[in-house]
Amino acid sequence: MSEYILKLQGITKIFPGVKALNQVHFQLKAGQIHALMGENGAGKSTFIKVITGVHQPEEGTMTLRGKQVEFKNPKEAIAHGIAAIYQHVTCFPDLSVSENIFAGHEAMRGRLPVIDWNTMHSKAEKLLRRLGSDLDPRQQMGALSVAQQQIVEIAKALSTDADIIIMDEPTAALTNRECEELYRITEQLRDEGKAIIFISHRFEDMYRLASEVTVFRDAQYIGTWPVDGITNSDLIRAMVGRSLTEMYPPPLSQPAEETVFAVRGLSRTGYFKDVSFDIKKGEIVALTGLVGAGRSEVCQAIFGIDRPDGGRIDLLGQQVEIDSPLTAMKLGIGYLPEDRQKQGLVLSWSIEKNITLANLDRFAPGLLVQEAKEKETAERLSKLVSIKCQSVDDLASSLSGGNQQKIIVAKLLTADLKLIIMDEPTKGVDVGAKHQIYQIMRELARDGYAILMVSSEMPEVIGMSDRIVVMHEGRVTMIARTHDASTTQEKILEAAVTRVQHEEPAMGGR
Amino acid sequence: MKLTGIKQQKHGAIGAREIGMILFILLLSLLIQLRNAQYLTVENLNDLLVNAAIMGTLAVGMMMVIITGGIDLSIGATLALSGMSAALYVRGNEAASPVLAVLIGIGIGLLAGLINGLLVGYGEVLPLIATLGMMNVYRGLTYIIANGAWVSAHQMNDGFKALAFTRFLGINSLVWVAILTFAGGAFFLGWTRIGRMIYAVGSNPEAARVTGVNVPAIRTLVYAIMGTITGLSGVLWVSKYASAQGDTAIGYEMNVIAACVLGGVSISGGSGKVFGVILGTVLLGILKNALPLLKISPFWQDALYGLIILFAILMNTIFKRMVDKNNLQRRHI
Amino acid sequence: MAALKKFLLRWEAVLVLVLLLVNVFNTMSSPYYLSVTGLLDATRDFMDKSFIVFPMAMIILMGEIDISVGATIALSSVIMGVAYNAGNGIPMIAALLLALLVGTICGLINGLILTRFKELSPMIVTLSTMTIYRGIAYIILKDQAAGKFPSWFQEFGWGTVGPVPYVLIVFVVLAVIFTIVLNQTKLGRRIYAIGSNRTASIFSGIKVDQIRILAYTLAGFMSGLTAIFLTSRMSSTRPNIGYMYELDIISMVVLGGISTSGGKGRLAGALISIFVIGYLKYGLGLNNISSQILMIVIGLLLIISVLTPNLVARFKRWSMVKKSHRQSLPGS
Repeated sequence: MSEYILKLQGITKIFPGVKALNQVHFQLKAGQIHALMGENGAGKSTFIKVITGVHQPEEGTMTLRGKQVEFKNPKEAIAHGIAAIYQHVTCFPDLSVSENIFAGHEAMRGRLPVIDWNTMHSKAEKLLRRLGSDLDPRQQMGALSVAQQQIVEIAKALSTDADIIIMDEPTAALTNRECEELYRITEQLRDEGKAIIFISHRFEDMYRLASEVTVFRDAQYIGTWPVDGITNSDLIRAMVGRSLTEMYPPPLSQPAEETVFAVRGLSRTGYFKDVSFDIKKGEIVALTGLVGAGRSEVCQAIFGIDRPDGGRIDLLGQQVEIDSPLTAMKLGIGYLPEDRQKQGLVLSWSIEKNITLANLDRFAPGLLVQEAKEKETAERLSKLVSIKCQSVDDLASSLSGGNQQKIIVAKLLTADLKLIIMDEPTKGVDVGAKHQIYQIMRELARDGYAILMVSSEMPEVIGMSDRIVVMHEGRVTMIARTHDASTTQEKILEAAVTRVQHEEPAMGGR
Repeated sequence: MKLTGIKQQKHGAIGAREIGMILFILLLSLLIQLRNAQYLTVENLNDLLVNAAIMGTLAVGMMMVIITGGIDLSIGATLALSGMSAALYVRGNEAASPVLAVLIGIGIGLLAGLINGLLVGYGEVLPLIATLGMMNVYRGLTYIIANGAWVSAHQMNDGFKALAFTRFLGINSLVWVAILTFAGGAFFLGWTRIGRMIYAVGSNPEAARVTGVNVPAIRTLVYAIMGTITGLSGVLWVSKYASAQGDTAIGYEMNVIAACVLGGVSISGGSGKVFGVILGTVLLGILKNALPLLKISPFWQDALYGLIILFAILMNTIFKRMVDKNNLQRRHI
Repeated sequence: MAALKKFLLRWEAVLVLVLLLVNVFNTMSSPYYLSVTGLLDATRDFMDKSFIVFPMAMIILMGEIDISVGATIALSSVIMGVAYNAGNGIPMIAALLLALLVGTICGLINGLILTRFKELSPMIVTLSTMTIYRGIAYIILKDQAAGKFPSWFQEFGWGTVGPVPYVLIVFVVLAVIFTIVLNQTKLGRRIYAIGSNRTASIFSGIKVDQIRILAYTLAGFMSGLTAIFLTSRMSSTRPNIGYMYELDIISMVVLGGISTSGGKGRLAGALISIFVIGYLKYGLGLNNISSQILMIVIGLLLIISVLTPNLVARFKRWSMVKKSHRQSLPGS
């Protein structure tokens, strides 16, 4: 019993309308790196928030160092030696690194309520050096890169004498070299006796660092295995629930020869450079790479949200200037955004009003909006993409992630499109809805749409695409046909984490 | 990974901006002196300093409010209300204690600030709206307690009138108040935990909440501090001008906001340095002093302040865009 | 029964009730009040500023604010007065058009600055322009007044069609137009979208900047229109005309249920609020309440207008959280 520093059993967490965690278990030893894996929406983030006191579970127990605990707020968790480092660093950009590290427990001059800057800066410096970083703690946090901010976050965890450290997707935005740094630091912490929960999508992180791996799927606990006792396909099956071949529907057609869309040398200072690829009619091209590689930025440049600084975009062989989303849509480009709640939907509105929002001109040829036509179109499209609801008057906020995503797909279909860009289409979507979305994608491809799918999930990339474009730190590092024998997962991953360019000799069309 | 150049923004008092401002102040002074030699005289500079003192004192309070992402448009009215309250106590009362008058003023100011703070912090009313509304309430109250009359010099006892003119070590009391407020403000904001919480609330309210900062309480606090400072300044104002009227200090909040914005306090919150605000006050004080010297009619003042604020925030924005663009270009793509 | 209850709980129904109360109070204050002419005459007091409520509603629905409208009224009015009264003055018709033009330009400037410099908040920009516009009015007219308008100019503010004042007719026309626009047209739908989720609106191809510029420019134009009617009623203009009008206008919008966070509320509520606040102030005047107390009332009204929906919303959220906690316990 006491070999485990942290033990959770039967944890259930319910939000209005959705069970985020359903009787999950987890055990952690000191001096161990334990990987937690699962698809987006499996419940990993919610689980971490239960451990760190952000959420309180409806059921279940948490035992810390042999004693049962329940944290009412994050401060209590921190006081008990638990620290978490999230993918999106929440910090105070205007304050210095030291202040961010010591926020809430600044160094004071003796008993006076006066901050002792010198001590605080030197303590911060010690922590940073211990992690092998040469950052100046006096700098403003906002001026640092993502990788640097992450190191500061780790320093913050150490400053609270945490001995349980949770890392949520820390490698997602790092370069190869930065990853190695992070590995080194993580192993160092483990050797110091800390217990580490490591969440990552990347199998290589797990193989490299962890001794055990636990898998969640659809809010449920699937199992725990020693890392050297499980194979890739076992792991995938645990995470996905079906074998790879069942999950992804086969293509309904073959891509045509005709090139619908192409970018040549597209660049935007600070985000991406010299990006070139093309997409054929009826083809699904996956755009993959690590978070921060610039994929969404490329898509947003194509869609007219941001202006590129160089290069050209060709649609149906003609060069086009895209200066706004409206222009993009008029030209026939649709975009399913990455953050569906912030960018894709008006949550407080009904399904119907969300579906028609992008194309109001069609429903209001004169001055007034024709509500009957609106309703008819909304109902038709809603049925087409199988949105699970009572009526199109239901509020978008009441739907699950998968159904919300379908609203946006329906919204895109109100226009005449040639290219559909889908940015992480199944992020945070349950397995059943995922399958439906994949089916919709196959149908769209069959109907002649060109599809650009941005995805970080290797199984999805390989399962759904005809060709793959890999980006790393703003550049395209590989373009290949998915089903060529030479296109392996390892090669794709390598292209995603390094700058090595893979030149495929026979690359159908320039 | 050491960073160099303008990207390295350290936590210190003097940066490129402040140096630029100092140079600008020197240049401006030179130009004014060339147009009117009366500028650089001991008498005039002393005048300038004393007039700017109240503005500077208030700017410290306003700075704290702006750092939390808020604004306070009611200070002109609060100045009038607290000043009038003190004046009414003193009116016709030979034995009136100046100390008590000051305390009355501070008390009124504190109360006014507290109300503002509660509305913003706990009522979740937009600072603009809360202080715009209360501005009218305080101004109306000022007129009412004055009952349509003024309190003028001959109704005030000498002790009271002397408040704004006493000197310690050769420096005018108003300037002392300003100096102490600057020092106190700088210490509070730079070296106390609560002071840093004020920056945290402005920089990222969500993160502050998660870190355990009582965000509504901090918001209330800064308005209460502003109110207290305003209360004190109101009494000193009335003493200096030896008169309290219903329309005292109408629109003065724009002066103070201009001093803050010129001093580099970001309107979106989260940053601002006392030293910058000192420079902003000096600059504004110079402009105010120079207007009559350059024979510019006082009716131009309001428009000028508005333009200064607009110009300053536009410049701040453009400068920040340049810095961001520079950062982007340094990313190795 | 449930439907009736739902209707009565709607904010607009509450406002109508308050309106009735105000009128009861006013009737007790003056024997001449409760007559058709009495009620209609009273509207002259507040109808001119009500024109601005329409574009202000659009602006607040988008989650923004414009406090420069009072100053724009002043500048338009002053320029109109000075241009007409000047040595080689322009004809009155031209002066009227000039007032509208000045107002429009003032609004356009706000819109352009805000859309080119998205980092700046509407609060600070309109605070600056408010100071600048009124400042210019003071530069032009100093502490003087400009009057001596042609006698027909009075007709705007004082003229009637039967017992109905011209101002009220203009108001009704605008009310009809804007109600249709906000509730039934693409533009209205887009405005609500921008206020509910600006990012999603951009991604949906809505030309957010264009609509924002339109709203602020319209606010300026309406300020010019108000300037004409107000100046006509006063028969003269000073630089302090329209002082603090933005308080009343914003109060009318917010009390009407249009939240400052954007995306919520109906124009109908604001229309009722115009009369609630307008008649309330008129009634206080009947009771010879001094202008200083009136000042306090205006300030408090604004704050109460904002606080009340705030507190009501918080109460609703609190009771909904309790409800869903009960519902989500295991076994349900």
